[in-house]
Amino acid sequence: MKDKEVLLQVRNLKKYFDTPKGKLHAVDDITFDLRKGKTLGLVGESGCGKSTTGRVILRLLEATDGEIIYNGKNIRELSPKEMRALRKEIQIIFQDPFSSLDPRMTVSEIIEEPIKLNKLIRDRKKRFERVLELMDLVGLSRRLMNTYPHELDGGRRQRIGIARALALDTKFIVCDEPVSALDVSIQAQILNLLKELQKKLGLTYIFITHDLSVVNHFSDDIAVMYLGKLIEKASAEELFSNPVHPYTKALLSAIPRPTLEKTGEKIILKGEISSPINPEDNCRFANRCPYARDVCRQSEPPLRESGENHFVACHLF
Amino acid sequence: MKGTVLKVENLAVRYVTEDGIVQAVNGIDISVEKGSTLGLVGETGAGKTTTALSVLRLIPDPPGEVVSGKIELDGKALMELPESKMEKIRGGLVSMIFQDPMTALNPVLKVGDQIAEAIKIHQQLSQDKALQKAREMLEMVGIPGARMNEYPHQFSGGMKQRVVIAIALSCSPKLLIADEPTTALDVTIQAQVLELMKELKEKMDMAMIMITHDLGVVAEVCDNVAIMYAGRIVEQGTLEEIFNNTKHPYTEGLFLSIPNIDDRKAELKPIRGLMSDPFNLPPGCSFCDRCDYAMDKCATEKPEKVHFSPDHFVECHLYPDNKEFQLKGGKG
Repeated sequence: MKDKEVLLQVRNLKKYFDTPKGKLHAVDDITFDLRKGKTLGLVGESGCGKSTTGRVILRLLEATDGEIIYNGKNIRELSPKEMRALRKEIQIIFQDPFSSLDPRMTVSEIIEEPIKLNKLIRDRKKRFERVLELMDLVGLSRRLMNTYPHELDGGRRQRIGIARALALDTKFIVCDEPVSALDVSIQAQILNLLKELQKKLGLTYIFITHDLSVVNHFSDDIAVMYLGKLIEKASAEELFSNPVHPYTKALLSAIPRPTLEKTGEKIILKGEISSPINPEDNCRFANRCPYARDVCRQSEPPLRESGENHFVACHLF
Repeated sequence: MKGTVLKVENLAVRYVTEDGIVQAVNGIDISVEKGSTLGLVGETGAGKTTTALSVLRLIPDPPGEVVSGKIELDGKALMELPESKMEKIRGGLVSMIFQDPMTALNPVLKVGDQIAEAIKIHQQLSQDKALQKAREMLEMVGIPGARMNEYPHQFSGGMKQRVVIAIALSCSPKLLIADEPTTALDVTIQAQVLELMKELKEKMDMAMIMITHDLGVVAEVCDNVAIMYAGRIVEQGTLEEIFNNTKHPYTEGLFLSIPNIDDRKAELKPIRGLMSDPFNLPPGCSFCDRCDYAMDKCATEKPEKVHFSPDHFVECHLYPDNKEFQLKGGKG
């Protein structure tokens, strides 16, 4: 496997929702590549379109426009049958392990279900063995096999969600805020587990989160979204050491750091995110940006390369 | 020292349920000095919120039950007061801000009226005067006074939390208890709200208890920190003592569990296992099952407080015999 091999190419992806007030631009013309075996962190605040992006890529929501090329095939053009076959490879882990598991199924039934539905292993005994193997893989003790989700804590439930996502022939997982609902000590356990699994099974992740310290720790590349737009993209190292977009800078400076040595001034943004409904042709961040100039209110900045493999959408660069 | 606003001694609270007794808070002491901020840190189920609710005497009974404890707020012994007096104290001497601003406001009342309501109850002002004061409060938290006739749904999450803050501060409390006030907010909005709270605390010379699980927030706003685990304060000290001279293995575990934003290669060292079942706490140290330093006696004997300075203490068996003991995790 080549290091640079691209698993997923997203091109000019758009997802608009019709609302009584007009078109809501949830995802607006975003483009990125995802390398095999790597993690792309998708960060941004509530309502920036990061979860919608994840769902559109998996075709859990149909895109309005654009291309999603997975392993050379445009997912958007696949027939339902082809799509069903592909679903064995592409999976999602949800934020809330409390609502994403069927409360009436036992742990083993939940993990077994996808294997059964896809007729991957027809023999009952072998299927059961596979369930146990998956439980071992994600660190769920076998004695929990016959318990129900409500009997378990958040960390264990999230492990069930991960086991279920791995049950098939999984190669690519969209992790949608997988640790946000968990306590820090449990969060670290799950992050380490996801990392280990990636190494062991060669998985590719899109990691959606609003927690910047988590994304920095976890991702190879990071894409920052703001109101449906991808505004900056670079390797995690580059983005954190050399952020270019004023929004990224503010976002990074706003993270409360658990240390007493304070580095740099906090940039406190004024105002709040503007409406994603029928946005005008301008920089979406202009009304909060401390450096905004006339041009920012008149036209939308394109995503340009500002350094090697570092892309930014801002008129100032 | 400018005097103590809040003094809690030997507080113990339990919830009696059908499945058994939950020992939520098990004998804790807290004191908050005038104008200072105490951070109450811990994970889900550590007893942080129960502690805060006890101070307001808002523990739902049943199933809640305050087993023991003395609470002294601004010289008044709260546990002995009749409920009618307590009503004057809540919202007057002490206020609380809850985590979720979406559910803390009444959806069918204008925000101006909601602020004025608190003012009227505590300050015997006329409706007009109360509304005038409500407008001032709204402006103080950075919302244009003209928006006082709007309803909560017309505000964003950050704005709603500002309204809640305006209500809490409208009667100039001596103590503000903030229960995860920014957890539901986005980072940039969180920064705005924390900044506002710091500013107002200073201006009104108010003491604060900040309940949080986020050590980053603690570093930003607190003067003193109490780390809670399974209903006990396992370590307490000044901000500097807790961050730079960490003594309890659990505190260390918390620090090692958070991704270090300035060093992305640093490995996460999670605390293994789960918090002990509050229905059935072990006889010894509650953290003993998850502790890398555990010794035989940790499982059987409750650790006593060991003081490192007048403010800094830890409840851990590692120290009584050897105060020089250093945790190995690289912290402290």
